[in-house]
Amino acid sequence: MRKTGFLLKEEHSGYLMSLPYVVYFCLFVAFPLIFSFILVFHRWNIITPMEFIGLGNFERLFHDVQFFKALRNTVIFLLIHIPLQIVVALLFATLLSQQIKAKGLFRAIYFMPVIVSGVVVTILWMQLYNYDAGILNVLLSKLGLKRVPWLISPSWAMPSIAIMATWKNVGLYIVIFLVGLQNIPGYLYEAAEIDGASGLQKFFYITLPSLNSAMVLVIILSTIGGFSLFIEPFVMTGGGPMNSTLSAMLYIYNQAFYFGHMGYAATLGFSFAMIVFVVIIIQRKIVERK
Amino acid sequence: MFIVFLWNLVYNLNPISDSLIKRTILFLSVLLFVVGCVRDVGDSTSEVNEVYLTYWCSPNQQEIELAQKVVEIWNDEHDSVKVRLQPIPASQSSEEVLLAAIAGGTTPDICSNMWPGAMSDFIKAGGLVCLDTFPDFYDVMLSRVPDDLLESFRAEDGHFYQVPWKCNPVMMVYNVKLFKEAGIEKPPATYSEFLAAARKISKDIDGDGKPDRWMGYRDIKPIWWQRLFDFYPFYIAATGGGTLFKKGKLILNNPAAVKVFSFFQRLYMENYFPRSTLQGDQFLAGNIAVQFSGTWIVSYIERFKREDFEYDIAPVPVPDDYRGPVYTYGDPKNISIFSTTHHPGYAWEFVKFLISKANDLALLRKCTQIPVRKDLVTDEYFKEYFKENPKIRKFAEQAPYTRGVDGVPDLKEIFHIVSLEYEACCIYGVKEPGKAVQDAERNAKVVMEWNRQ
Repeated sequence: MRKTGFLLKEEHSGYLMSLPYVVYFCLFVAFPLIFSFILVFHRWNIITPMEFIGLGNFERLFHDVQFFKALRNTVIFLLIHIPLQIVVALLFATLLSQQIKAKGLFRAIYFMPVIVSGVVVTILWMQLYNYDAGILNVLLSKLGLKRVPWLISPSWAMPSIAIMATWKNVGLYIVIFLVGLQNIPGYLYEAAEIDGASGLQKFFYITLPSLNSAMVLVIILSTIGGFSLFIEPFVMTGGGPMNSTLSAMLYIYNQAFYFGHMGYAATLGFSFAMIVFVVIIIQRKIVERK
Repeated sequence: MFIVFLWNLVYNLNPISDSLIKRTILFLSVLLFVVGCVRDVGDSTSEVNEVYLTYWCSPNQQEIELAQKVVEIWNDEHDSVKVRLQPIPASQSSEEVLLAAIAGGTTPDICSNMWPGAMSDFIKAGGLVCLDTFPDFYDVMLSRVPDDLLESFRAEDGHFYQVPWKCNPVMMVYNVKLFKEAGIEKPPATYSEFLAAARKISKDIDGDGKPDRWMGYRDIKPIWWQRLFDFYPFYIAATGGGTLFKKGKLILNNPAAVKVFSFFQRLYMENYFPRSTLQGDQFLAGNIAVQFSGTWIVSYIERFKREDFEYDIAPVPVPDDYRGPVYTYGDPKNISIFSTTHHPGYAWEFVKFLISKANDLALLRKCTQIPVRKDLVTDEYFKEYFKENPKIRKFAEQAPYTRGVDGVPDLKEIFHIVSLEYEACCIYGVKEPGKAVQDAERNAKVVMEWNRQ
């Protein structure tokens, strides 16, 4: 009988097969996570030696007005973005599930922004939103309306980013709702028609309740996506005007890579991840109960 | 063999023979070993015969061309010490790349794009060679740079880690034609003159109810380095050559800073500067009358301007009650040797070659940037160049009246804080200038205190 090593035995070959992923996981997930956790208790700017400061980073966090402003901005973004995303996605999914011509073409068109690079979309929308020469304001002026200070007014900037983010991501949520719509049994609508239900009644009493699981998925995905808001303010506004688009992720990035506060950025990152985790759990409980 | 292994893996997955796996691992190990040995042999052979220095230059095209020429001449003249040129790898800023390179131990031998504001971290990390340990350092430096300017680059530990190389004094570049049309005879030298000129120039030309010609334009994003080209040159000018720190103490909350904030606030409140992002180069298009820029803009304008486009250069305006020479931000870029070098002596020789008169003239001709050299405008060697380029001469005349940034580790954060207050006060007018400057200093001190705890 041939002698074989532990990993080369046929019954253990699974270990060998999973080795590439284990290596990947250790290098790119576990190590950064553990290292970041160590950083939480240190001051470090990458090139100088780490300095242990205990809970100093947390002490700073609790006094950091800007971080709380960034959190507030992120919540404002979510409050605009999520309902808008759901309404638009549901509307288009309902339309696309009807018997219309060139349905496939429309589905492809709506999905296209999802696969375009975030930076490209952001730069394009910067041109559209331009106060003086942007096409949106040119159209508004031609209609005799006042120009909108899309990105240069503290009260308009975040809603403008939310509109853009909705346009970019809505294709994905349309697909999720379409799958949900296709799984609703046709006999439910037939029975409702026999009972004399109107279109709206059918939508509210059959379609919406049947889309519950799709709705949970859309809300969770768009919440996670919304919490990671970064590219749009980073490219479009740099967090301005007057910090109105400073998202939590952008603030963490600035602390780490502009100012070299790796330890503090790690503390912010962990705290923010905990907040996202708690919000998702609560959200899921609420939506699933309904 | 590896292909056979993959073939088996895909088409004959179960079972994969033990011997095949063993053979493949053995083959890959041998392959890696051979490749590693070949590379080592190549390196060691070259090390025995010649010394190689790696030189990083700024990634802009003109400076790459200059560096290529300089390196070519050096390599022709030196058989045993060769220089390999590499533009600084692409990133948001050179400082980020250098930071990553120091962290990874992949720094070059020499870099000529060192921003003094980032030096303190590099020095603290032990990333740079102390230059005053070279016996001829002071002789070389004092023959080139004025004493006081050299002193301004002395590190906190009393040593020198950078060779002052070039600067781009920030000055006012203005459209002569627009000024003439508005009846302005000479460039504005004070805030009142500037505001009066702005009143005449800024207007709604097409009658749509919004201005389409402005006195000036600045990027309003609250990004720290943007303030190096609006607030900071005006602050240096208003303080007569002061910077944000004096004897290690932050002195931002002073009357000059308040005057600068008030001035910019008026420019935005009275619509002389637009708040939006303008597309294309509106200065060359004739819709912006004034730009605040360094010397490099001359070659840019010369390259892209229309034939009838006329422009000139003047110092940045100062407060009405200011008397004395007009200082500005010099945007200096210096040369350093990194401590990863195996040949500091040769690297120092190359640095001296880089700052030779011939290469300084090449820097002027190719990049239109000002070498940090005393008596530049009076030296016979450069006389002909300045005769041919009177606009560059104005920048060269300004060069002795420039200041850099303070070498403090929190500089970016301080400028970020200034940026936020500048935005609130000057651009959106929601804060009084006095309060904004006061808040900027208070917040900066909080950050500095935290960073030193």
